[in-house]
Amino acid sequence: MFALPRGFGLTFGVLAILAVLVAAPLTTIVIDTLGSAAWREVLASNLSRNLTWLPLKNTMILGLATAVGSVLIGGFLAWLVVMTDVPFRRTLGVLATLPFMIPSFATALAWGSLFRNSRAGGSVGMLEGWGMSVPDWLAWGMVPTAFVLISQYFALAFTVVAASLASLNGDVVEAGQMAGASRRRIVFGIVLPMVTPALLAGGSLAFAAGVSNFAAPALLGLPVRMQTLSTRLFGMVEIGQTERGYILAMLLIVVSAVFLGAGNRLLAGRRSFATIGGKGARAKRMALGGARGPLCALALGLCFVTTVLPIILLVAASLAPQGSALFSNWTLHFWIGASDPGFARGQAGIFRNPQLMTALWMTLALGVGVAVVSVLIGLLAAVVLNGKRIPVLTEAVSQLAFLPMLLPGIAFGAAYIALYGAPIGPFPALYGTPWLLALALVAATLPFAVQTGRATVAQISGDVDEAARMTGAGFVRRLFAITLPLASKGMIAGALLAFVNVIGDLAIVVLLYTPQVPVLSVLSYRYASDGFHQFANAVTLLILLISVLATVLANALKGRGK
Amino acid sequence: MISIENLTKRFDTAFAVEDVSLQVPEGGFLVLLGPSGCGKSTMLRMLAGLEAPSSGAIRFGGRLVADGRMSMPPEKRGAGLVFQSYALWPHMTVAGNVEWPLKVGRVHGRAALVAEALEMMGLGALAARYPSEISGGQQQRVALARMIAARPKYMLFDEPLSNLDATLRVEMRHEIARIHRMTGATAVYVTHDQTEAMTLASHVAVMRAGRVEQFGTPEDLLARPASAFVAGFVGTPPANLIPVRDGSWFARMPDAALRGATGHAMVRAEDMSLAEPGPRTVQAELVEAIPMVGRRLVTVRAEGMRLSVVAPAFGALPPTVHLMLPAAPAAIFDIEGRPV
Repeated sequence: MFALPRGFGLTFGVLAILAVLVAAPLTTIVIDTLGSAAWREVLASNLSRNLTWLPLKNTMILGLATAVGSVLIGGFLAWLVVMTDVPFRRTLGVLATLPFMIPSFATALAWGSLFRNSRAGGSVGMLEGWGMSVPDWLAWGMVPTAFVLISQYFALAFTVVAASLASLNGDVVEAGQMAGASRRRIVFGIVLPMVTPALLAGGSLAFAAGVSNFAAPALLGLPVRMQTLSTRLFGMVEIGQTERGYILAMLLIVVSAVFLGAGNRLLAGRRSFATIGGKGARAKRMALGGARGPLCALALGLCFVTTVLPIILLVAASLAPQGSALFSNWTLHFWIGASDPGFARGQAGIFRNPQLMTALWMTLALGVGVAVVSVLIGLLAAVVLNGKRIPVLTEAVSQLAFLPMLLPGIAFGAAYIALYGAPIGPFPALYGTPWLLALALVAATLPFAVQTGRATVAQISGDVDEAARMTGAGFVRRLFAITLPLASKGMIAGALLAFVNVIGDLAIVVLLYTPQVPVLSVLSYRYASDGFHQFANAVTLLILLISVLATVLANALKGRGK
Repeated sequence: MISIENLTKRFDTAFAVEDVSLQVPEGGFLVLLGPSGCGKSTMLRMLAGLEAPSSGAIRFGGRLVADGRMSMPPEKRGAGLVFQSYALWPHMTVAGNVEWPLKVGRVHGRAALVAEALEMMGLGALAARYPSEISGGQQQRVALARMIAARPKYMLFDEPLSNLDATLRVEMRHEIARIHRMTGATAVYVTHDQTEAMTLASHVAVMRAGRVEQFGTPEDLLARPASAFVAGFVGTPPANLIPVRDGSWFARMPDAALRGATGHAMVRAEDMSLAEPGPRTVQAELVEAIPMVGRRLVTVRAEGMRLSVVAPAFGALPPTVHLMLPAAPAAIFDIEGRPV
C-alpha cells in the first residue's frame, strides 16, 4: 500500500489555499493575454510610446529617486541613532519609523494643501493663498511625487540600515584599531563594506516600493498627465482595456520583483555578517562634539518635514473652509456639518455621509477579518515550513507564501479582477462583493503573516511540541493547548500590523472597489479626485488615527512579550 | 618584559582596576584570572591600547606605552589581540582578514607572511572562504593567524576559547601554547577558567574586584594561596574551605591544629578520606563520584556544604559516608580571608 508522508494533509491544504489566493490570479493574467494583440499594442506600436515607454521611464526615475533619497535620509538617521551620541536618539528612532503608519496618500494630500496651484483647477494651496506663485514643477509631477515617496519609504531604508549597524559589533572596529588603521580607513575599509549590503538592500526595497506606489503619482502626477506604470495600468482597467492593463501589470511586477529580489539576495549573501555569532563589546558611540546640536536639529527637521508637518497640514486643511487660508475660519463642517447648499457645494460633513459610515464599518470589518484570517493562514504555513519537508510541496508553499511581497498592490488588484471578476463555473463573480477585497487583501498580507508565524513558531521550539506529543495529544489539541497560547502575543501584534496595512491600502482596493463596498482609502481618493480636499483630508485623518491606535497597541503588546 | 606599576582605571567614580603592579619577563605567559567583572578585561584593553589608564604606568620592554597622561596607539606597541568574538571582518576572505592589518601597516612581502600564518594554523585550504562559510573553530584559527602574521612581540588574548565547545577548547589551548613556544612572544591571556590558567601560564594574576589578589606561578597559587578566595578558585577540584570557629571544625569539633582560629580551614580533597565513624570523622551524604586517574573524586554534602574527597577506585559507596579530617589543614584563613 502507498502511504502518504506525515503532515501531507496539512501541507496540501495550505498549498491549496495559496493556489487559490496567489497562484490562480497570476496565472489568469498570463493566460488571458497569451497571444493577445494587446502585446503588440503595448510594446511595439505607435501607441506604445505613450502607453508604456514614457510611463516606464517615469516609473524608473521615481524608483531611482526614491531609492537614493531613502538611503540618504534613512542611512543618515540610522547612523545618528545607532552609532553616535546625538541627543534624543530614542525619539529620533521612533520618528524615523513613523512613516510606516502614515498612508502615502496622506502625505500627497498634505503636499497639495501647501503647494497646489491653479493649473489643475479647483482651490489652491496655502502658498498661493499667501499670494506666492507656485511653479508647476513644485506643485505637480515628478518633484512632489518623489518627495512624497521618499518621505514614505526612507523608513524602510532606516530599518534595514539601523539593524545592520546595530549588529556591527565593537570588536570588529577595535580589531581595525589594533591593526593601526586610521579612523578614515576603518570607516572605508570596515564599516562601509559591512553596511554596503544593507545600504543596497534598503535602496532596492525603497525602489520596489516607489515603483509600486499608486497614490502619490495618482494624486500629484495625473492632474498634469504624468503617468507611471501603476497609474497607466489603473487607467487601462478603468476604461475597459483590461488586456493592456494586465500586460502593464506584468511589466510592473517584473520591474519591482527584480529589485526586491536583488535586495533580499544582498541581505543574505555570502559576505553577510548576520551569520557570525559571538558576543562582542558594543561599539563605542562616536562623539559628535560641536556637530551634536546641528546634526540633531537636521535629523529632527527631516523627521518633522516628512512626517509631522504633513499631519499638521492635514488637520488644518480638514478644518479650513478655504485651502488658501489653512489657519483661519476653522470649522467642523467637513467633519460633522449638515448639508448646506451654500457651503462646499452642498456636501455634508463626513460623519453625516451615509457612505462614509458604511465605508468606516466596511474598512474596520475588512481590516479585522483580513488580519485574523491572514495571521491564521500564516501560522499554518509556518507550521508547514517548520515541519518535515515534503519534496516539491513544502518548497511550493514557501515560494507562494512570499510571492505577494514581490507584487505591486495595483498589479495584484488587476490579477484579482481578471480571475474573480467573472463567474467561475457554478461560483458567481465576486466583483462588487466585499469577498473580492477580502481575498486580495489576505493574499497581499500573507508574506508578512507567514513571517510573523515563523517567528512565533520558531520561538516555540520543537521540544515543547514534542513534550506535548509524548502525552498523546493530537495536532488540534496541541495547536490550541500549546502552540496558540504561546504564540498569541506575537500573533496579535502581527495581526494589528496587518490591520494597519489593510486600512491604509489604496493600491490593491482601488481597482476592486465598487460603490456597494466602499472603503475609507478609496473614499478619500475619490473626494480628492473630485476636488473636495477638506473631506479627503478628514477621511485620511480618520484612517491615520485608527492606524496609530492599532500600532501603539501592537507595540505595547510586543514590549510586554519577552 | 611587561611591567605594570600602580595601574588604575576609573569609569566615572567606579574603579575597574585599582592599583595593580606586576612584572612578566620576556617570553612569559601571564594569565589574568578571575570571575566576570573583576577588571581583567579592562586590564587587557589597557595593555592593548584600547583604553587609557587613569593613573599608573605600563612599560613594554622598558618603553613607556601608557600612563595617566598618555596612551600610545595600539599599532605602535607591537601587540596583537585576539577577541572573544574573534572580530573577523565578514566582508573579507580568510586570507583577506589575515592580510589587512599588514596592508594597513605597509608591511612588505605580505603574501609570504600570510601564507606562513595560514599554514601554521592549518588554514591553507580555506584561504578563499568568507568567515560565514567556516566553522567556529576555524574562525578562531583565523583570528589567531591574523594576530601572528604581523609577528607581534606581545600577544594578547581576551577569553579566546569561551565560544568553543569542550573538545575544541582543549585543542585550541594546545594551539595557543604551541604558538607561544614557536614565536617566543610575551603573552597576556584573560580567562575565568582556572584550568586554562594553570595549563598555559608561567605567571598568574588572580583578580577580584579590580585588585590583584595574588600574583605568582601556578605552583605558588596551588601550594601557597594568598587568600581564601584564591584557595577556593584554583585547583581541580578547588580546595575545600571548611568553616572553623574558635579552633573548632564546623564550630563543634575542637582541634589544636586549628590554633584557635575563626574563619576557614583549607583542606584539599586528597588530604581527606572516607573512613569508619570515629572521633575525627564527619557524617556526610553521598552526592556523586567521578572516576579520575585511577581513583574516584567523591562529592559529598556535610554540615550543609559540599565537600570533595578522594577515594579508591573500587568498593561500594553507601549513601551515608564518614569523612576523616586531616591531622592539620593545608592553610587557615581568617574571617576576611587572609592567611593566619
